[in-house]
Amino acid sequence: MSFPPAIDIHWANFAPELTLLITAAITTLFALFQRDGRSSAWLAMVGAVVAGAFNANLWVMHATSGAGSSFGLRFLADTPGLALNFVILLGTLLAVLVSYDYLKRSDLDQPEYYPLILFSATGAMIMAGAGDLITLLLGLEIMSLPVYVLSAWRMGARQSEEAGMKYFLLGAFGSAILIYGAALTYGATGSFVYADIVAALSATGFAAPLLATLGGALVLAGLGFKAAIAPFHQWAPDVYTGAPTSVTTFMSVVVKTAAFAALIRIAATIYPSMEPWLLTTLAVLVGLTLVIGNLAALLQTGVKRMLAYSAVAHAGYLGLAVLAGPDGVRAVAWYLAAYTLMNVGAFAVLMQVSDANDRGDDLERFAGLGKRRPALAFAMTLFMLSLGGIPPLAGFAGKILVFQAAISAGYVALAVIGILTSVVALVYYFRVITYMYFREPEYELAGFRSSAAAFAIGIAAVGTVLFGLFPGWWYGLLGTGQHLLAHM
Amino acid sequence: MIALFVILIPLAFAVVTGLTGTRRSLAVLFGLVSTLATFALALFLPGSSGVSVPWIPGFGATFTLQPGGAGVVLTLVAALTMIPTVLVAARRVERAPGVFVALLLVMQAGLAGVFLAGDLILFYVAWEVTLIPSLLLLGMFGRDKRRAAVLKYLVYAIGGSFLMLISILAIKPLSGAASYRFADLMAATPHLAGATQVWLFVGLAIGMAVKLPMWPLHSWLIDFNEQNHPSGAADVAGTLYKVGAFGFFAWAMPLLPIGVERVGPVLLALAVVTALYGALAATAQTDIKRLLAYASLSHMGIVGVGIFGLHLAGLNGAIFLLAAQMLSTGGLFLISGMLYERRHSFDLDKFGGLAKSAPALSALSLFVLFTAIGVPGLANFPGEFLSLLGTYQQHPWLAALATLSVIAAGVYGVNFFQRLYQGEEREPTREIGALETFALIPLIAGILWLGLSPAPQLQRIQEQSKLIAAPTATAEAPAPPPAALAVQAGPGALADALGGSR
Repeated sequence: MSFPPAIDIHWANFAPELTLLITAAITTLFALFQRDGRSSAWLAMVGAVVAGAFNANLWVMHATSGAGSSFGLRFLADTPGLALNFVILLGTLLAVLVSYDYLKRSDLDQPEYYPLILFSATGAMIMAGAGDLITLLLGLEIMSLPVYVLSAWRMGARQSEEAGMKYFLLGAFGSAILIYGAALTYGATGSFVYADIVAALSATGFAAPLLATLGGALVLAGLGFKAAIAPFHQWAPDVYTGAPTSVTTFMSVVVKTAAFAALIRIAATIYPSMEPWLLTTLAVLVGLTLVIGNLAALLQTGVKRMLAYSAVAHAGYLGLAVLAGPDGVRAVAWYLAAYTLMNVGAFAVLMQVSDANDRGDDLERFAGLGKRRPALAFAMTLFMLSLGGIPPLAGFAGKILVFQAAISAGYVALAVIGILTSVVALVYYFRVITYMYFREPEYELAGFRSSAAAFAIGIAAVGTVLFGLFPGWWYGLLGTGQHLLAHM
Repeated sequence: MIALFVILIPLAFAVVTGLTGTRRSLAVLFGLVSTLATFALALFLPGSSGVSVPWIPGFGATFTLQPGGAGVVLTLVAALTMIPTVLVAARRVERAPGVFVALLLVMQAGLAGVFLAGDLILFYVAWEVTLIPSLLLLGMFGRDKRRAAVLKYLVYAIGGSFLMLISILAIKPLSGAASYRFADLMAATPHLAGATQVWLFVGLAIGMAVKLPMWPLHSWLIDFNEQNHPSGAADVAGTLYKVGAFGFFAWAMPLLPIGVERVGPVLLALAVVTALYGALAATAQTDIKRLLAYASLSHMGIVGVGIFGLHLAGLNGAIFLLAAQMLSTGGLFLISGMLYERRHSFDLDKFGGLAKSAPALSALSLFVLFTAIGVPGLANFPGEFLSLLGTYQQHPWLAALATLSVIAAGVYGVNFFQRLYQGEEREPTREIGALETFALIPLIAGILWLGLSPAPQLQRIQEQSKLIAAPTATAEAPAPPPAALAVQAGPGALADALGGSR
């Protein structure tokens, strides 16, 4: 085998990431002259849309000519990666929309906000395309650092600063574990590239299976931090609650998408060739996540914290499909798209109801919302029912896809746990509906109305319904093109 | 295609009516147009073609509507019952009648979906779609203690249906069926191993038993009826909610014959308990709605007895009773609303002697009550009679026990009537009004229609009953000639339905 004459940089394959990066840089410079954050928001949205266009172009190209990669197999532009890029861009776009008026109202309107969001999204997309542990780590850090800053965006508010600090410390800890895992894997197999790791692991006479599997387990733990899989979820409720709600919205969808994009790729390629106890461990963690997330959410009286634990619970549902390995890829990608829509919607409604300083998110705030803001209450009803997995909404189709993936992969008991905990989930989601429709108003509403956020809620609500009624088209798209290039 | 419109029309009108909000006249108009149009269309359902398009390709779910015999009968009778229900709701609900009617229409669409679904996933989707409006009707328009009732109902319903979902998700991969369409499942699932069938069936059975409802999973029903809006309209919608028994009959039992064979006897015993318990509890009630709820529970017990007897006649009778009970119990709930209008209470002690000043109301109530307690010539009788007689062929003792509930029904029925209409008149009351008369006419017409000519409907139901009863018959006895299985239309149909299966 001869060495390639030069590093194979295929610029087109990371055009979406590059677009986002360039936009972020421009927006940063722009912020020096224009102190009104809203123009930065427009720039950011344009950047995200252009990146989406590049991504769509790549999709069309690769649907006909096979998947692409850059730097050997270190950066991949295959169907799952590109599909999750779309999900990340959608989440970013919606997060920018819900921030648009919210920041002004909460007195947080600094123009540096939007470039940080874009940097973070860039990192998320790099994670989705990573075919190599080093690329993965780079993406993870690029994604995480801006989010640490954003979590502490509400300067002077203890909760927010605490959230930023906590997230930073635990995030650094998670990264360190991930790096250690990467090092162990390298030590055992001599490579960082997934394809080469798989090749080394499946070679006859492979000498260090335990070392490699340990490496895999540490990588799992590191990604588990970002994905909020129990017992690595403990930062999530505090950070989600403490961070400004617009940042929570972004974190809960984009960071989660990126973490699961990386996790499913590793689970579909490397993990099946490692020792089986690794997947068993993951199965136990997924079960734990389902139980802890749902039971803890049931005990919350604040809606924001409830949604934070609900995000943990959804990590569990996604974990069910991750366990299925290659057969779970489509389910994960499908679920993340649906989850992005309904979760952004729920947080956006919460922002309209709670106070400017994010306090006042308790259930009583929602009392009588059905009478006062019927459209808003109706949208929230859709999001809650969808998160709870009631047909014919997006959350239902997502759930049956992940359950089906788990059952087909032989994790029947785990699917049963998932469904039983869904009963609990429905109780806390339905409680919000109970307050909105079955009780009389108790507070004066803050009276915050934002047309940008209303637009985002509209997109999320229509998407939640359409994804639920016609789950086939997105699922069909996910089946096109070449899958999991790293597996070759 | 007709099946599709039977679902889409109420759904479309629900959106329009929901937007009218507090404008009562529009709610009346849209509600009536929608229900009348749906009923008119539903008349053409028998023998109409289905729809089948792919839905979630990788998962094997299709959007398939397949109007089968029993489903058609239930859809038709439910569509008829809905007409007076929306009328009463639109006139009687104090605030936001448009929303109330819209929820009723969503419910109707969902019910049609359940009864006409030809795909198990679609069946489940329609099943859950029906739950949401019934929860909202209770929570938004119910009485003082509605919140506890909502929570109880929610936990029972969701707990049951999610367990059912486990079985539904597992049934295709385990059996290797090509899709979730009934025909595809039917080709594969009966060949599953016995133990697998049993646990799949148990999963389905728990979800369906909650909705049937069957003792000991019934307790949500009583609170549900007691706390619903006093007009009785939401209770009627609840009475139309026959998805549990229908689910057993159309899906769980034909798909999993070995599961039925092993678990069926337990369910039969529970059904007998339900019938007796409901009837005895009904005799002890002093609240009109609670009494009706327990009476309805007792009827559902008899339906269960008919179904789990696994005898052709019993199966036909059970589904027939299901349809008839929509009319009779629905009518009684509407009457309970009329009584509440007059005394602002459901306490039986507050009534008495109404017959003196309201003889017409009294006569109509007696008619509907007679239907409910199974007087021959009226709708419930053929259903009850066949249910019990069918099961008597194989389980004479259990059937005989269940028959006691029919006697108890006579007791609580007569007692109910006496305490309301006879005895000393406390104060004069209003005679039946125009709206109330209009509300009862369609139901009474339906009762006479089903009661006097049950054969055509029984024959339709039998198309589906054969799927369950035939394999058991062939397994234990030499197969009867096909001619004997068919029920001839005409006056002798009852006897044929009885003699036909063995």
